[in-house]
Amino acid sequence: MQAKSKEKLADIVGQENFSDGIIDLVSYSSDASEHSIRPQAVVWPTNAEQVRDVVLLANELGFPLFPRGAGTGLSGMAVPRSDGVVMDLARMRRIIDICIEDRVAVVEPGVVYADLEKALAPHGYFYPPDPASGKVCTLGGNVATNAGGVKGAKYGTTKDYVLGLSLVLGDGREMRVGGRNIKSASGYDLAHLFVGSEGTLGVFTEIILKINPKPTATATALAIFDNLEDAGSAIIGVMSSGIVPSVLEILGRETLEAINQNTDLNLPEVDAMLLCETDGFTQAEADFQMARVVEQFQKNQARQVRQASGGEEVVELWKARKSAYAVLARLKPNFVLEDVTVPISQVVRMFKGVQDIAERNRVSIATFGHAGDGNLHPQVLWDATQPGETQRVEKAVDELFALAIKLGGTLTGEHGIGLSKAAYMGLEHGSVSMDMMRVLKRACDPNNILNPGKMALEG
Amino acid sequence: MSASAKLEIERSFRDQIGRCSRCGFCQAHCPVFGASLRPAVNARGKMLLLKEVLEGKLELSRELAESIFQCTTCASCSTNCPSGVQVPEIIKAARRDMAGLGTCHPAFVAMDQVLEQYPNIYAEEEPGDFDRPRNQRAEVVYFMGCVGQYREEEATEAALAVLDHLEVDYTLIDEVCCSGVLEDVGFGIKPVLAEKNLELILSTGARTLVTGCPYCFRTFNNKEVYAPIKQEGVKIVHLSQFLAGRDLGVRTDQVVTYHDPCDLGRHTGIYAEPRKTIRALAPNFVELPHHHADALCCGAGGGVRGAFAKNSLDMARRRLAEVEEVGAQVVLTECNSCAHNLSNAKLRAQKFRVLTTPQFILELLEQSQG
Amino acid sequence: MQIQGYEFPEDLHYDPEHFWVRVDGDELVMGMDDFAQKLAGEIVFVQLPDDGKKLKKGKKLAKVESGKWLGKVLSPVDGVLMGVNEALETDPGLINRDPYGEGWMYRIKAEDAGQMEDLLHGGEALEAWVQAEIAKHASEA
Repeated sequence: MQAKSKEKLADIVGQENFSDGIIDLVSYSSDASEHSIRPQAVVWPTNAEQVRDVVLLANELGFPLFPRGAGTGLSGMAVPRSDGVVMDLARMRRIIDICIEDRVAVVEPGVVYADLEKALAPHGYFYPPDPASGKVCTLGGNVATNAGGVKGAKYGTTKDYVLGLSLVLGDGREMRVGGRNIKSASGYDLAHLFVGSEGTLGVFTEIILKINPKPTATATALAIFDNLEDAGSAIIGVMSSGIVPSVLEILGRETLEAINQNTDLNLPEVDAMLLCETDGFTQAEADFQMARVVEQFQKNQARQVRQASGGEEVVELWKARKSAYAVLARLKPNFVLEDVTVPISQVVRMFKGVQDIAERNRVSIATFGHAGDGNLHPQVLWDATQPGETQRVEKAVDELFALAIKLGGTLTGEHGIGLSKAAYMGLEHGSVSMDMMRVLKRACDPNNILNPGKMALEG
Repeated sequence: MSASAKLEIERSFRDQIGRCSRCGFCQAHCPVFGASLRPAVNARGKMLLLKEVLEGKLELSRELAESIFQCTTCASCSTNCPSGVQVPEIIKAARRDMAGLGTCHPAFVAMDQVLEQYPNIYAEEEPGDFDRPRNQRAEVVYFMGCVGQYREEEATEAALAVLDHLEVDYTLIDEVCCSGVLEDVGFGIKPVLAEKNLELILSTGARTLVTGCPYCFRTFNNKEVYAPIKQEGVKIVHLSQFLAGRDLGVRTDQVVTYHDPCDLGRHTGIYAEPRKTIRALAPNFVELPHHHADALCCGAGGGVRGAFAKNSLDMARRRLAEVEEVGAQVVLTECNSCAHNLSNAKLRAQKFRVLTTPQFILELLEQSQG
Repeated sequence: MQIQGYEFPEDLHYDPEHFWVRVDGDELVMGMDDFAQKLAGEIVFVQLPDDGKKLKKGKKLAKVESGKWLGKVLSPVDGVLMGVNEALETDPGLINRDPYGEGWMYRIKAEDAGQMEDLLHGGEALEAWVQAEIAKHASEA
């Protein structure tokens, strides 16, 4: 990039909010995926005007722009191109308003999820979607990826809570969509076009989120199943029992074995373990729901059910689920965490399918995930230095996606497409859909300067 | 992994660096990132740089110093890393590699040179004046450390006054820098300085070596060159351990909180003793939001106060915001370096006080004497 | 005036410990002179005591730190501290960037205005003193 262009960028955001130093370029070359490409420069805008002016400059000079939150995305959506400029929204981190009367929180895109949670707590409110990276991820990133989390079964995902956005389109025009209204039937629902758009249509400068009063009581139960089919029936049973648990997680055999090898949790090595939580505004409410859940566990041959209501015991019950990712991450030098999602009735078929794919391709795959909304996390583990392993993994992953689509599922429940799954978009989306996506992209970003190369938008 | 590889990070840490899965969860813990919001100086950013060095895409050049040397080695990252990457050890190895290549941060080249010529890191020629005898024979030998002797004299004076009050039979020595810090910033302990300390310590005949500096404490305890201390049967104790359980006979109603120094807490596991003493003095004790192994680094360690003073103070301010949050009137700590950085960073408008525990004890003793 | 690359405004008074003093109404304003700030390097911390602190000529008023040096600010007169430059709390580098302007440090009410006579003032005295200081530090380096 020419020195003059860099000067213009620095003029817009201030010298202290611009860098082309090597340490910054390298740190912005990747997110949490395996992709890595070094950009030309990075800017840290501090207000909406600067965001707009940087986008306008990008259009004028023809360089691509890559918006970024905390860079914890697993699919490469924040990875830049070598001719591009990264725009890190971290320095726009004000919580602009928390209004309990309107039931909204208004934030700048760089607000860290955990900081919003902390600000809402004294009011007795919470923002329900709770991605695992909550301690570091930003709300702007959450909206851009339609982030999920463990509470999806009952509370839905980011898209269910976005009421309005202020943003800068790819062509530099500023736009406000939605508002502080809990509901609206006015015109096309433009706000939701941008949720999950992975920074390809516009850059958020302000986000209006719906918030909920936080249930004060929970009940937790852990159930052990010798048989995967039984666990599957239990899942269907629970989710159609007339109540909706706030959490329903599954841990598969391989995951349990791995946890045992690497911790002293001493879990039973069975086909599946289910962790369930119900919540309410009284303990009676939470317990009532949990009784329905336990009924379903028992009806479906759970070998053992452990329960707890609050305190140390709940922490104990959650330990296994919380340790899964980290334990698996240490097993082999390379891993990729997929998040294929299927209708709930297909969860067991998908689970078994994954085991079958792993066996046939001689690849290690350990699965855990959000059974309550059909979102499984097969974690594929391998050693790239071993001859042939990477190829076998690639084939296994191909088969994984093909199976999910065959079962009526989707490539990704919450991690997004980015770079990692772009090649599979055609499996899930028909040509009319893909064409429509490209039309919308062109309408918002005619010069294709915002996060180009992602989501198979370029065909 | 090549045993003959030129770089220590390659010889000893290739697997570890490879283990970083780039998840970025360390951004929640790294104090340097927390104060700057700049991924380049976050633990993950440092691993990304070193990955590229190992891949041959990048040189360990001077330009990397701003990242590799801006780490307090607080270990908040490694304590919470899902993949178990031991970032501080990797950073220290990378610094040694850079020193070998001549790309070390100038502040630490200077520190190494200062300790070639002077007996302390501040190039002070005269010993601090604490008006107490040195190099006597006594039961206890008290080691002040450079920060205590030359930057936090009042804190050291208070520590000595408390020992006097307790009628401890102790002596000071003509101590020189333990020089442990050099191993963290690219160099090595100075044998001449270590020998001098050993000679002075052992000639006192003391059965116990007490120090107020958590860093010197770790150095004496862990570094090979100081092994003779334990070999001679001398117990090495931090001042907070020495004072724990002693009845100081004073109390206060003030709301007091405690900042766990990284070198005493996360690195050494000494959490209970300081609290035992403080709770006995101040029943209205409250914990900071981040405490024990979760404590927020004050920003001074790993050489950062010397090389990146402004950022170091920004980190300290983040910690002080927590003191305000819990409504404490006093924040105590057991490390002179923390006390120094925190008190420098405290704004005039912030009405709480920053003190070492001995300073607080002395204050209460003097008040009770009327 | 410029003396060997160091700036020393002639209208100010100078304490041999390298602090400048300016009369401003019935108060004095003081700061570090150009020679001292260059010698110290980037200032990272300036102690800002509470207003009302009693000051004695030649005694420590406050501490100043740069990356490599800890120095004492000595009061040039007997008196009372009336105010401090609060901007230095978060931007101590002002002392380096503008030692005689935005980098001023303390406001003092002097008990005895006569003590100002002890300070250096005027071109010739200044020149001689600064040259001597430069030579002294060169030989110590």
